[in-house]
Amino acid sequence: MIEFRGVTFVHQNGVKALDGVSLRVEAGEFVALVGENGAGKTTLVKHVTGLLKPASGSVLVDGVDTKEASTAQLSRKVGVAFQNPDHQLFSETVEEEMSFALRNFGFSPELVRNRVTWGLELFGLEEYRKSSPLVLSGGEKKRLTLACILAWDPQVVILDEPTVGQDSIQKERLAGTIQMLKSAGKTVMVVSHDIEFLWPIQPRVVVMKGGRVVGDGPSADLMQDRDLLGSARVAQPQLVEFYQELHRRPGTPFVHALDAARWAEESLQP
Amino acid sequence: MMWLSGGFIFRKGYSFYHRLDPRAKLLNSALMFVTTLLARSIFEMVLVVAFMVGLSAAATVLKRVARTMAFTALFSGFIFVVNVLFTRDLETSVLYATRFVAIVVSTSIFFITTSPDELEQVMKMFRLPRDVVFAFVTAVRFIPVMMLDTIQIMDAQKSRGLELEKGNLVRRVRNMIPILIPLVVNSVVRSGELAEAMEARAYGAAPKPTSLLEYRARRVDIGVACASVVLFALAAYSFYFVIPVQFP
Repeated sequence: MIEFRGVTFVHQNGVKALDGVSLRVEAGEFVALVGENGAGKTTLVKHVTGLLKPASGSVLVDGVDTKEASTAQLSRKVGVAFQNPDHQLFSETVEEEMSFALRNFGFSPELVRNRVTWGLELFGLEEYRKSSPLVLSGGEKKRLTLACILAWDPQVVILDEPTVGQDSIQKERLAGTIQMLKSAGKTVMVVSHDIEFLWPIQPRVVVMKGGRVVGDGPSADLMQDRDLLGSARVAQPQLVEFYQELHRRPGTPFVHALDAARWAEESLQP
Repeated sequence: MMWLSGGFIFRKGYSFYHRLDPRAKLLNSALMFVTTLLARSIFEMVLVVAFMVGLSAAATVLKRVARTMAFTALFSGFIFVVNVLFTRDLETSVLYATRFVAIVVSTSIFFITTSPDELEQVMKMFRLPRDVVFAFVTAVRFIPVMMLDTIQIMDAQKSRGLELEKGNLVRRVRNMIPILIPLVVNSVVRSGELAEAMEARAYGAAPKPTSLLEYRARRVDIGVACASVVLFALAAYSFYFVIPVQFP
């Protein structure tokens, strides 16, 4: 579905943000990009919508080379919720804000109304329908930007730091939304530093460092590689640390980190 | 847009010109500015521009000055057309159009080699009110931040299907609304946050705050300032007494 072939990107100031990145993301996959600040995570996902074009190599989205397509064409397939919601909110009402992309894509008025109502209900924003998006709280703005993206039903959903400014309830709801997207067969890419948020959802984890992919695998396995994560300045999930600490002692009841996770889940249930 | 803006924004450099006392650079730029006004023929103007290009090369900012020239060429073209239409004098029109480019370049060299901190010190030396200096320097310092904001906002809106280059002039202007509103709102919010952060760090508490940077003119600074005055005097003398005037 999405394929990066030896992608290199150099910023105007000469800094090499991506250095020969090759990665293949299948349709319906859930991938988390983790790594230190400046590792190239956001730069990589910006290539998927054609906002950035590779200096060398190529990016294919559904077989289409992003160099050959405009951002408007690609964004019909790929929805990106950027890190700072204040960078996109401008309409008079939440309702108009949500319909902006739908109108750009030429949806019929009836479909626009239906999709707006669906999105507002899904993210608990119905009561703000006629309010200005600028007066919403940080968490509400974040949810609104996500609702705006999902409204046009893109095949690929990219979330850049979706948990920033979200309380624990909202994080749980967000995790639920991601599960829903997975069930609907959407390809989901999440850029995040929030390992505790990612761990329960168990994505495929791609670790980036200095513009390169240094690790790629299922989170259950990759999150146990303390050295790899440490080198990319990524913290291990607390449960994995707990499991590894237990594993060093004799008579540990767990064979795998996921056993510890299941045990913790069952123990914490009322 | 970022490419063009690079012609006006300070970036750290290590050439002799970057390291000069900001007062010497200001004097040099001011004298270059006045010299462009004194030039009365295309030949004289070419000499002034050639000097500026040479200085830019020595200060290792030639590429960025070229961007300034590219940016001002648009306005300069407008000046040329208007002058040709109203004066019907081709040479005068060329002179005015070139003078505009030279004026902008003379100030651009100062701004792209002088950090906001140095600018602040220069303004304080002229005993301008502290609040005015702070507002001006903050505005200069926030230009790159706003440029970055603009790019991120454009990225966000383009990802929602906005096509900035699509349609006629009216449509294109309307397409700018989703860019301008978040930019203005963010700037207002940021200025409020900055004011609070400044007050939280005792801004305005002392009637005469101390300064981290203090400038003392070195020999090279005095040398450059003197050389600037001498070159200016030579240019003024040549323009009025040596080089024959080709047209008024």
